Amino acid sequence: MQETLHQEARSDSPYTTKREYQTREVDIGSLKKASGDTVQPRLDGVDHTARPTWKLRETIEFYRDILGLPLVHTISARGWGDPGHPDFLHFFFDAGKGATIAFFYYIGSDLTEKYMPEDHHFYSATHTAWSVPTAEELQCWKTTLEARGLTVSPYTRHEILESIYFRDPNGYPIEITLRLRDVEVIDELDAKLTLEAAIQVEDELRTKGDRLRDIDTVWRRKAKLVEEFIGER
Amino acid sequence: MVVLYVLDVKEFLPIVETARKISDWTVSKSDKGYYRISSPTEIVLNRKAMKMKPAVWYGLFTGGMNGEIAEFGREEVRVIGTNRAL
Ligand SMILES: [Fe+2]
Repeated sequence: MQETLHQEARSDSPYTTKREYQTREVDIGSLKKASGDTVQPRLDGVDHTARPTWKLRETIEFYRDILGLPLVHTISARGWGDPGHPDFLHFFFDAGKGATIAFFYYIGSDLTEKYMPEDHHFYSATHTAWSVPTAEELQCWKTTLEARGLTVSPYTRHEILESIYFRDPNGYPIEITLRLRDVEVIDELDAKLTLEAAIQVEDELRTKGDRLRDIDTVWRRKAKLVEEFIGER
Repeated sequence: MVVLYVLDVKEFLPIVETARKISDWTVSKSDKGYYRISSPTEIVLNRKAMKMKPAVWYGLFTGGMNGEIAEFGREEVRVIGTNRAL
């Protein structure tokens, strides 16, 4: 089956030739919704995340030798696909349960300004979070990483997660996290209402030429939505 | 009047426990997963008294808040009544 699919594949498909789709604005309203479809394909967790690196040796030594994650796969290839693509190495470290963290090393290329590490929340928003099964394991990571010389954040308890954070030699943020409890039906419902409140007030303010400026506005609309919700019989 | 809605999950239960100790405030529980806390005047909560970590504290009113935050510090928050539409 997989072979036939590949024989049908064409290198001149719109995915390859009409590249403007990669950067243009998308009109979500023109797309078909999952809820209105008869099929719903399923996912089964993370296979890998990948980022570029300009520090080959340091990245390998950090993930394999300092963190101790097994290097499980490496691709080394001539540049292919889009024009100007350099030759590259693509390598994968095992992060448990089949998930890997991967890097691209683009041979002969230089780090550009855009990929320089920053001490800013916009930058750290893109991160990898690995899970651990127990509080003991989380503590073990913190003390072990500190003993190995890394700067690790204090424990941070979010609502359903307890996390520690550190950075790799590229400056990429890594999180190790413990699920404190399972998410229940009411969590899903609450998530929906919070975002519904946010979308509503954002739309309304935008219509007035203003913008959403604080979370208080969302919390106040949320109160209205919860009131309506619990008032229903 | 100030009204808070609190989702019935353990992270936010300290708000409910605090509210129950204050005679002026009313606490009711809906069968749909939310507590409703109301105060005729204002609601003042203290982080350390509720043993809350900062990352949860700063999301304190995620369940919904009918009122206006007069002060939101690292240790104490004060919500007052308002006539503004929700
Ligand atoms: Fe995270």
